[in-house]
Amino acid sequence: MSIRIWHALTSGMGKFIIVRVFQIILVLYLYMTLVFIILEAQPGDITDIYTANPKITPEAKEAIVKQLGLDKPIHERYLNYLRNFVTGHLGCSFKWGNIRDVPDPVCREQRPTWDLIKERLPRTIVLFLTYTIVSFYIGFFLGKLIAWRRGAVIEYLSTVVGVVLFTIFTPWFALLLVWLFAVNAGVVPIGGFINPDSWTNVRQIGTTDCSIGISCSNIVFTHLLMWLGGLSLFWGIVYLWSRHFPYAWQKHAARWGAVAFGLILAGLFFGGGWLGEVDRVTLARDTRFQFFVWYFEFPAGTIPLFPLALDFVQHLALPILTLTLISFAGTMLLMRNTMLETMREDYVMAAKAKGLPDHIVRDKHAARNALLPVVTSLIFAIAFSVDGGVFTETIFSWPGMGQLLLLSALEQDYPVAIGSLVFTGIFALIAHLIADILYAFLDPRIRYD
Amino acid sequence: MTKRYPVLHVENLTMHYLTRKGEVKAVENVSFSLDKGEALGLVGESGCGKTSVALTLLRLLPENARFLGGHVYFFRDSTDEAHARRAVGKPVKILLDGQEHQGRLLEATRSHLVLDASANGRREQLRLNRQDVARLGVDLTALSDEEMRPIRWKGISMIFQAAMNSLNPVYKVGDQIIEALQTHLPISVPEARERVAELFQLVGLDRQLMDRYPHEYSGGMKQRAVIAMALACEPDMIIADEPTTALDVIVQDKILREMRQIQKKLNMSMIYISHDIAVIAEVADKVGVMYGGGLVEFGPSDAIFKNPIHPYTKALMSAFPSIKGEKVKLAALPGEPPDLIKPPSGCRFHPRCPFATEICEREVPEFREHKPSQYAACWNPLSKGDR
Repeated sequence: MSIRIWHALTSGMGKFIIVRVFQIILVLYLYMTLVFIILEAQPGDITDIYTANPKITPEAKEAIVKQLGLDKPIHERYLNYLRNFVTGHLGCSFKWGNIRDVPDPVCREQRPTWDLIKERLPRTIVLFLTYTIVSFYIGFFLGKLIAWRRGAVIEYLSTVVGVVLFTIFTPWFALLLVWLFAVNAGVVPIGGFINPDSWTNVRQIGTTDCSIGISCSNIVFTHLLMWLGGLSLFWGIVYLWSRHFPYAWQKHAARWGAVAFGLILAGLFFGGGWLGEVDRVTLARDTRFQFFVWYFEFPAGTIPLFPLALDFVQHLALPILTLTLISFAGTMLLMRNTMLETMREDYVMAAKAKGLPDHIVRDKHAARNALLPVVTSLIFAIAFSVDGGVFTETIFSWPGMGQLLLLSALEQDYPVAIGSLVFTGIFALIAHLIADILYAFLDPRIRYD
Repeated sequence: MTKRYPVLHVENLTMHYLTRKGEVKAVENVSFSLDKGEALGLVGESGCGKTSVALTLLRLLPENARFLGGHVYFFRDSTDEAHARRAVGKPVKILLDGQEHQGRLLEATRSHLVLDASANGRREQLRLNRQDVARLGVDLTALSDEEMRPIRWKGISMIFQAAMNSLNPVYKVGDQIIEALQTHLPISVPEARERVAELFQLVGLDRQLMDRYPHEYSGGMKQRAVIAMALACEPDMIIADEPTTALDVIVQDKILREMRQIQKKLNMSMIYISHDIAVIAEVADKVGVMYGGGLVEFGPSDAIFKNPIHPYTKALMSAFPSIKGEKVKLAALPGEPPDLIKPPSGCRFHPRCPFATEICEREVPEFREHKPSQYAACWNPLSKGDR
């Protein structure tokens, strides 16, 4: 058995992944060093912000410098930084104070960088992953359609609209949509991550993480994220598992069954409740709760999660719409071009000659082979979704990684700036690895051995 | 008289391509017929329209192609219900007691076929007893794409030029055949896999190979897989477009021999398309010689190879060596293949023809029967003395 495992690890895909992981570690080290040097090379540091304040005495300033460790020589700080990273501690923010009831054992009254990233990374991932997938899918779908029906009205229409939106000045277009949908129509919130009113009186019993209503939002958000990830994984596994069923109806039954099962499970969880409490005032005021209070008898100490989760969805809608509109054309045009190329291939003609229905020739034969370069662009888009589009997050006041990066860079908050940059890098590298592995599945001609 | 059992009647097929440089007259007035169990060889230089004819038959033309006229009657037994239903409202040819009736099919009931055979201002409606009708041929050019779909592969399948590229690189070879099977026949995956295994055995491939990807095959194996795929639905007819051109001579010979055997065994009709007259001589019962988009000679292969009527046929034959015959110097045909955008006037072969006279330049020769069942389009047909 162990010989078989050893064989699997040292040949083909296993060996490839192991070698790549070592490469990734090396590249990551170089990248971290570069990030450290670039930030060190910036003029000034956080103490400059305090020098402008006449109330701070030189002694106090020195104390701050000492407390932040800025008095140590650069090589010592560099080693410190690497040591911290290896031990999983990303340092303490210069700027952000601790928000927990219990102070952090290392950072004490400062907030650990990891704590900030842990809070903001899921928000950015949800926003940007969703938009990337939505815009990729729309681009993929339209691209294959306009290539297949070349010269049709839809080609000119979607190309013109797509290119105009693709080249438009992003902040202006985002503000336009905010003005249109949030200010005038009022169907979505103007910006932000949650509506504080819905959360102020929410409590979770038995934890210290959620003593303030707003920080409960992080927990609910994590639930939402885990459900999304879990359901996607479940559906993906069922999809792959049902691929080789002998009859088409079995395939459909398994897939739709899985979809229904997942949705019912999620419905029970989010409609059902969560150990926590919310006061009667909030329940009475918030119309979203009213439906649930009227519909279900909730035992004391539970509240339905659904209206709270809905709060995120409402806040996500406009940024996702904006980003999708701006970026779908890139995928669309790429897909169109590669599709036009594969459509000339002999196997597409052969598929047509086999008497396959038109949509199967298009999807299964032409589009499937045109997918590879498009997947490359998708993977890179996902990799860079972690830095969260500084523009977008600022315009929609979305408290994610992009905003964190901007704030920490402006305020010379090195540990946080480095931390968020390094996370962007790690994600880009992992995305590369996933892209390479995905290639092997998408194109059987690619083998890593 | 032997009983005729037609599979395909092609009449006056004309198709042009629109290009930037002008209209390429790729197929011009091509007519031929094919019976069940027969192999027809279409031979001619590159670019003479052989493949275009095949693509027109299957209606797989690229977007810049303009179909300009002609009929392709595809015959099946009149008991075939789906075929009869498909033919309603379309131009058809009906074979009844050795006699051909042509017209528009008005109705197909369980017992009768009603045919509108009006022609030349004469109104005529025929009511034919279904039991008496042997073969019903429907004009493929009149079908919609959706009606054409079941005919592709189930009726007429094709082995493409460059078989190497007609397998999709991202799917297992077996799955690509199963896909064709499941499109046309109501069978499950295990049954289809069994069928693929049979087919692989028939073409001499190991059954394990069906779970491999095309890039894991050698050239000859791919060719065999493509042949297996063409045989999958037991079609009435297979068009083999340069089936062995990419292979070396030994493999080529072996595969051709096996294809011929399979064709005889399953009693299928076949159209071989090749520029290599030696290949055609080996496999074909009938030969059609194409030049410059038109059929210049058509007839039984032994008759044509013994006594060609058209000078081009003769030139083509003397450009290839024969192993069996006496040692002769190979004669290359002087001149270039015609430019199909501006084809020569009259007979398209006249600029290169050693026998050309002044009428060849002026008028297009009629494609007619010069000897029993040997057709040609030539003003100065060769007699025996000219050889």
